[in-house]
Order: sequence, then structure tokens, then C-alpha cells
Amino acid sequence: MNARLDSFSYDDDIVRKFLWATMIWGLVGFLIGLIIAIQLPWPGFNLAPYLTFGRLRPLHTNAVIFAFAGNAFFTGAYYSTQRLLKARMWSDALSRFHFWGWQAIIVAAAVTLPLGLTQSKEYAELEWPIDIAIAVVWVAFAVNYFVTLTKRRERHIYVAIWFYIASIITVALLHIFNNLSVPAGAFKSYSLYAGVQDAFMQWWYGHNAVAFFLTTPFLGLMYYFMPKAADRPVFSYRLSILHFWSLVFLYIWAGPHHLHYTALPDWASTLGMLFSVMLWMPSWGGMVNGLLTLRGAWHKVTEDPILKFFVVAVTAYGMSTFEGPMLSIKSVNALAHYTDWIIAHVHTGALGWNGFLTFGMIYWLAPRLFQTELYSKNLVNLHFWLATFGILLYVVAIYSAGATQGLMWRAFDETGRLQYPDFVETVIRLIPMYWVRVVGGTLYITGATIGCYNLFKTWAKRPATYEVPVVQAAPLSAKDTDEHAPAVAGGLLARFTHMGWHRKWEGMPLFFSVMTAVAVIIASLFEIIPTFLIKSNVPTIASVKPYTPLELAGRNIYQREGCFNCHSQMIRPLTYETERYGDYSKPGESVYEHPFLWGSRRIGPDLAREGGKFPDLWHVRHMYNPREVTQKSIMPAYPHLQSNTIDFGSIQKLVDAMAMIGVPYGDAVNKAPAMAKAQAEQLAAAIEAAGGPKGLADKEIVALTAYLQRPGRDLKNAGTQ
Amino acid sequence: MADNKQDHLLEHSYDGIQEYDNPLPTWWKWVFYATILVVPIYLWDPMGIGVGPGKVKAYEEQMAAFNAAHPKSAGTYTDDQLVAFAKDPAKVEAGKVVFTSYCAACHRPDGGGMIGPNLTDDFWIHGGKPTDIMKTVVDGVLAKGMPNWGKVLKPDQIEGAVAYVQTLHGTNPPNPKEPQGVQAGADSAAAPAAAATTPPAK
Repeated sequence: MNARLDSFSYDDDIVRKFLWATMIWGLVGFLIGLIIAIQLPWPGFNLAPYLTFGRLRPLHTNAVIFAFAGNAFFTGAYYSTQRLLKARMWSDALSRFHFWGWQAIIVAAAVTLPLGLTQSKEYAELEWPIDIAIAVVWVAFAVNYFVTLTKRRERHIYVAIWFYIASIITVALLHIFNNLSVPAGAFKSYSLYAGVQDAFMQWWYGHNAVAFFLTTPFLGLMYYFMPKAADRPVFSYRLSILHFWSLVFLYIWAGPHHLHYTALPDWASTLGMLFSVMLWMPSWGGMVNGLLTLRGAWHKVTEDPILKFFVVAVTAYGMSTFEGPMLSIKSVNALAHYTDWIIAHVHTGALGWNGFLTFGMIYWLAPRLFQTELYSKNLVNLHFWLATFGILLYVVAIYSAGATQGLMWRAFDETGRLQYPDFVETVIRLIPMYWVRVVGGTLYITGATIGCYNLFKTWAKRPATYEVPVVQAAPLSAKDTDEHAPAVAGGLLARFTHMGWHRKWEGMPLFFSVMTAVAVIIASLFEIIPTFLIKSNVPTIASVKPYTPLELAGRNIYQREGCFNCHSQMIRPLTYETERYGDYSKPGESVYEHPFLWGSRRIGPDLAREGGKFPDLWHVRHMYNPREVTQKSIMPAYPHLQSNTIDFGSIQKLVDAMAMIGVPYGDAVNKAPAMAKAQAEQLAAAIEAAGGPKGLADKEIVALTAYLQRPGRDLKNAGTQ
Repeated sequence: MADNKQDHLLEHSYDGIQEYDNPLPTWWKWVFYATILVVPIYLWDPMGIGVGPGKVKAYEEQMAAFNAAHPKSAGTYTDDQLVAFAKDPAKVEAGKVVFTSYCAACHRPDGGGMIGPNLTDDFWIHGGKPTDIMKTVVDGVLAKGMPNWGKVLKPDQIEGAVAYVQTLHGTNPPNPKEPQGVQAGADSAAAPAAAATTPPAK
């Protein structure tokens, strides 16, 4: 035993910073959620071009995922890691760089997304300069974290640390490889990948963002704060090991289940489904270990609101990780995909699992960080009940909205015609449920506001200066002398099943991290390599041509306004889809789609066969005020498109960027603005001749109309040749 | 329930957190094995419950079965039939609802014309016979800005709309759009003998 003890202290100041950021951004994120929830049943609430549903919805998801849940992860990770390793974070400066850098990124998101600057890939909307900033800040966090690991005074790393490590490594990989793009201006870029491949990469990222940003970090937090709050040992060390490794390895494969029945090849879809099904028990391992840790402490749950938050959090986790594998089954997915069912599913996870774990953690931390009693336990209880009823109202309403719409889409009458051929009928049926969601969301936000107030009052009672306790611990000895390693009789197999090998790994955190990275990378490559290399995945279609310069400019407007948030461009090979929209979408149609705009939710109809479906003037009027042509439409109005002028000069940059990633633009590389102008004048003249407004030749609406008249045209041309 | 016999506490402790060395719950283990077993069964595809022929092939089979079950109806409308609809008050009333929701945006609620032509005068661009009107509604005239309503509206809705449009003739609403097309009757020799058109029903 080493007699010399190090004296040191923990950096709790950084934890307090992240804690406030969590609560404040949480409120912001929830509030934006409430605004867009009101916009659906009440389109008049789309108050300004910057505040339409299409632009605010990505801000809501980004705020909740990266600002609220992200800061919550950092709060808990900085607090628990230092104590679990018996070491202060290696560099206070890097910790602060991480904090301020992350908040600056959130502010940048809050500014750029309403401005319509977006890559239009879900949860990866932020444009390339911000993406680079994210990578830099994340790497700073990782460096600080891994150096701290080497400076630890606890030989073995606890299960919470395993989950943090997996999160830090995998998020870096996902972020970098999904966001590879070619800039076409300071805040505009085109994904390096196109169509099928872009869709694959996006959902490899998107699904694993759920895994490694919303699941594994929070499992880590659960493993620290739940046994702490309950003052009970963790139920099973062996279960921790098995569910950690199986989760990390299996999760990565599951992404393609977001693309069932799309133009993604069948084999990828099948892999995504099978690995999702296998993921059920590894996910539930966390729930079992959490709930069974409370054995012998259930009487405390009735008294302690913090444990109540944790119990609901873990239960919500269990429900959504059962539902996930179920939704990944192709036939179930056919019904649920594109509907509110998915929205309800993610809100069970986000409001229940992430939200409640965060609130429980923060209430546990507050008295410790502010070194005073919590201001009011009654208010914590009130927060708990308001939020619980809020979630219930929210998810019950939105699950039924999802099932209702999914069933209406597929309903045929006895003559073989769609029962609800007019899409808008399937939307207005949901409006009462949308109002119930507004009520549920309001309850949830009220709870969170009360939580903020409670924290503020607690903070107000803090001592004049915080006490900084000095901790003493022996430095790490040079060798792993694990006197506590369980003695194992027998051979290799016995040793393996008793996890002695794993105990060794826990003593070598860097090796452990490498093994985690290997698990994640190998699993990824099994899907990524064939997706990119097998030619037959994307049979080419000769009649598919690149967009004209004007259409490309129009597509930018489509991206800017966030149209893809409500309109898919991917018709599935299912009878009721082709009856409604036309021929199903082929992989070869998307080869110039940088990025893919297949969408994931249909609040409005699919647009993959929109080209030629309506006259030009219809589009002009529809964008000006959708209710002028579709009485019951809930789409926001875009009158500004008739006054905003097209910046023809900038179109050259767009075409050049596309050409750089291999889109065969030919002549357009030299004279894109002139080509765009000519097409715009022709289109504007046609609109005027049909009785529409005059003088649209340089207005954005012309570019957007040109684009909207394109989807599906190439395939029709192939049919006539 | 305090610690039961199976709970063996491991001696390590992290910031005061301890762990039991409990075995994996039996049900957990077996369900995990079962989900792994799903993989070979799904790929083996016994009785067609698994991977199947792939989504495109499956779709083609479903579509063939669907088309066999719902043969495209050979039913047609005659002018007389459509004229009779226009004399049926229930049909016209239902048609008015359809007209207000779908047609009025371009033809004005009173049919006087705006973006679309006036429907109350004697002039028609695509033919004024009831069967011509039916064809225009069902197939649309995209080049001229008329959407095709055959997929969006149901047969009885379209019958109603066509019936209602016939009743608009001669209503003389204020400020009508100027006449477009040819005067009805004047071109009867030139007009195609569209005695029957394909109805919207398949």
C-alpha cells in the first residue's frame, strides 16, 4: 500500500455552469416545441418567414437533443467522472473551452436555423462552419476526458465511464462522416453523398445519434446517479458488461430501419431490422439493472421525488426500447413510417427517459452543488406530477394520431379506390389530437418552469463562497494489483464467464476505448462498404438528368424553408402508396440528390411525383396562400417568395459545387446564371399568360415552382421514349 | 425484501457505489437468445413469414392480386345520364359542396370565372357537353392549368360536381370573366363525338 496521498479538489464550478445551461436551453427547446405544436392545428401561428414550422422544427430538435440533453450529459459526466476516477479534470481551461464553445454553437444554431441555413439532414442541419466548430469543441472535450482517464487514481473504470467513453468516441465518428460536404458559399454546402448513399449515411448517423447522444450517455448517468440516490448497490455487474458490449456493437447496424420500403437495397433494410430486434434485450439490460437496483429501496421511491423521476425515466426507456425493435419490423414500419407514431415514440424517449433522468439528476445535484438545502421538495413533487401527466396526454394523443393517419392512408373502399384520396382529409382528422398535445406539452413546460424557479431559489440560498473540499487519494500504482479480482477456478471458459478478462480491461481505459471504437467501426463498415461499392444497389436510369440551374436554386429554397420536414419524396412500393402518388421511387432517380430529400414525416403529401401534377399557377397561388387552393390545408403561407428576388449571380457557385462532386453539369458550369434567367423568364411569362401575377421573372417563387415541377418528370420521360 | 441469498456484493467500490455479482436474469438471457434465433428463421423464410421475395417483387405480386380483385370497370356515362344527375336535387346539393371546396378557388364560388374560365356562359374551351365536362374534370388539362381530379375525388363527388356545373349555366353572376373558347352549339359539327368517356372509377 502506498502511504503517500495526493491532495486535490474537484471542479464543481464547471458542473454548475452546465447545470444552468441544461435548464435554460431545456426551457427554450420545450418552448419552441410548443410553438410548432400550435402551428400544426393553427397555421396562422406561422407568424413570420423566420418562424415557420419548417424552420423551427429543426431548431426544436437540435435544441432538445444537443442543447438540453447534451448539456445534461456534460453536467452529469463532469460531476461523476471526477469522483469515479478520483481526479480533477485534467485541464480547467479545456473544460471551459468545452462549455463556452458548446453554448456558442447552440447560439449559432438558434440564429442560423431560423434564417434557413441548413444542410437539411435531420439532426445534422447545421451548416459546415458550425459543423467544424462542433468537431473542434468535441475533440477538446475528448482530449480533456482521455487525459483525465490517464491521470486517474482509481485503477478500474466503473460502468458509467464505459458508457461515457463509447458516447464520446462514437459521436465524433458519426458527426464527421455524416457531415462531409462541399461548400457552395459561407453557409451553404452540398453533401458529398447522393441519394441512396446519402440516405444510408444520414440514418446511420441519425439512428446512432439517438443511440450515442440520447441513450448511452444517459445510461452512464443512470449508473451513477440512481445507485447514489437510492443508496443501493447496482443489481448485476455481469449484466452491465454484457449489455454494454452488446448494445455498443448491435446499435450501429440498426440505422437502415429508418428506410424500410424506400429505395435503399433490401439487404440493408433487412440487416437494420434484424439487428434492431436483437437490440431489444441489450437495451433492456439497462432498464433491468436500473429497476432492480431499487430492490429494497422501493419504500424510498414513495417519499423521494428524485427516485420517482428516475423510476419513470427508466420505465420510459424500457417502453421506447421495446417499441423501437417493434417499429423496425418491416410490416409494422409500413404502417407507422411517415406518421406521428414515430413522433410519439421519440417523445416517450425524450420527455420520459432523457427529460426525467435529467430532472432527477439536477434535483439530486442542486443541494450538493449549491451547498444548501433544496428550496422546496413540494415543488419537485408538483413538477413530477405535472410532467408525468403532460407526457401521458402528449403520447396518447400522438400515438392515436399516428395510427389514425397510417390506417387512413391505406384504406381502400370496396371498389378498390382509396377511401381517403384527398390527403388533407387525413390531416384534419388529427387536429383534435394536436390540441391535446398542446395541452400535454404545456403541462410539461409548466413543470420545467417550476423546476427552474425551484433551482433559482435554491441557488439564491447558497453560501457566500462555495466550500471546496480537499480530497485525498493515493496515486495509481504502476501495476494493476487487483487484490479484489474474483478468484476463478477452472480453465479459460470459466474465466471468460466470470468476466475476469473484463476486469483487466477496466484497468486499461485507453485499451478499453480502442476496443469500443473497434466494435463500433467494424459494425459500421459491414454496412457502409457494400452500400458504396455494390453497383447493383443503384441501377442507373438514363433519363435521369441533373437539375437545371434554376431548379437547383429552387431546390435551395425548398431546403431553406424546410419543406422536407413535412413532405417526403419517396414513394414506397405499396399498393396504397402507388395508388395515391404514382409509381414507386427508384434508387436511380436520386443519383444527383445532394443531399437526399426523402423526408421522414408526411404532414403534407409526398412530392416525388409532383412534377406536372398541378399547373404552374397552382403552385404560385398555393405557396402564396395554401388555403386559397386547398381550403383545409394546414401548410404555412409563403407570400415572401413573391417578393424575394433570386440572386442569379450566386447560382454559378451552386452549380460549380455540384459539378465538383461529380454531377455532370456540362455547359451550365460556365453560364448557369444566364440559363437560369432564360428559364425564369419563360416560366414567368407562362404564369402571367395563365392569369397569374405579373413580373415574377426574378422572384423566388419562379425558381421554387420550376423545382416543384421537376420531381418524377425524368421517369415519365423514360416511359415516353 | 432485503438482500436475498443470491446477492453477492463485489468488493470494489466507486465513489461509494457498489455492485452485486448477480447472474443475468434467466428470462433476459432466453429472450436475448430468441431474438438472435429470429435471424436464421427470418432468412430461412418458412411459410413466407420471413424475408420474402424482396419489396419490389412482393409489390408486383400484391398489385397483380389487387388488380385481379378490382377489374377496371367498363362503365361509362352518357350525356342523358349526366343531364339526369343535374335534375336530381340531392346530387346537385352534394355537388355544390364539392364545387365550393375544390373548384371555387379558380372558378369563383358562383362559377363566374377567375383563373379558370367562366362556367356560366355559353362558351367552352374543352367542350360543353356533360360528357366533355366530365372528361375535363377527371383527366384535367394540365397545359391550361386544370388539375386532374380523377384520383382525388370519388366517382359520386365528380358526378355531383358535373351536375352542379350544369346548373350554373345561364345564372349570369356579376362581373363574369370574358368568354373563352367556342360557343356551344356553334361547333357541334367540329367537336369530337364524345358520346362516352371513361369514368373515374377503375
